[in-house]
Amino acid sequence: MAALVQGVRGALAISSCLLRATLPRATIVGLQQKGIHTNLCGVTPSAALLRSRNESKVAAQRWMASNPGVKPTVVEIKDRVLRVCKDFDKVHAEKLTLETHFLNDLGLDSLDHVEIIMAMEDEFGFEIPDGDAERLLRPADIVRYVADKEDIYE
Amino acid sequence: MASREAVRAAVRQVRPILSADKGEARKRVLNLYKAWYRQIPYVVMDYDIPKSVEQCREKLRQEFEKHRHVTDIRVIDMLVVKGQMELKETVEIWKQKGHIMNYFKETEEPKPTDFLSKFLAGHE
Repeated sequence: MAALVQGVRGALAISSCLLRATLPRATIVGLQQKGIHTNLCGVTPSAALLRSRNESKVAAQRWMASNPGVKPTVVEIKDRVLRVCKDFDKVHAEKLTLETHFLNDLGLDSLDHVEIIMAMEDEFGFEIPDGDAERLLRPADIVRYVADKEDIYE
Repeated sequence: MASREAVRAAVRQVRPILSADKGEARKRVLNLYKAWYRQIPYVVMDYDIPKSVEQCREKLRQEFEKHRHVTDIRVIDMLVVKGQMELKETVEIWKQKGHIMNYFKETEEPKPTDFLSKFLAGHE
């Protein structure tokens, strides 16, 4: 039994070494954070922003890679923005609507705001420059900004 | 009286290090935070440190919170420059695992509370 477990662990380690050699870095990091290497880093058991965000990031990347021509609708963008905001562990889900102000209503600070904008960048796959980022203070602003960037008209 | 006004005026216009005003300094700080935040998963992977990415991000937040109260623009610029130097050394892997783990080390020894520790430390 113990030998079997060790064999499985050895196989996992070998496969992850092969993965490291072949896959690009971003996916390795994503897979790693999904818990293949749980024995290496002390992963905290609490619901991690990173894990859920990386899952959505990997899913979004796969979706975009297979359908480059298909654009998301405004409703989809709203869902994704709200889902990313909810995954943020400092945000209380019950207070979150499209119109809640990050700094005033949710009591986040500017570093949290930066983290949220980075999560949006990862979710939608394009860079948001600083000048625009400091004006995106509510989820509704973010939805409108993404719709403008992706040229989606209601 | 007049000389005091002149001195005050001269002191107010100090030559800036990097940023001319608070807004620019704020942008630099936020960009540094973003760069470190994005680099942390790769730091954890390259240096193989026994901390999770969340713990590292928490430590990053703590380091930034340490200097939250600073208002002098030149001091902020200097701190940003030091942060960028640390980031460069970390990205290029000029540091080693010990240097990264130093961030997690306590810099102050805790004061002794029970009798024996206070006795051994010298009844401070």
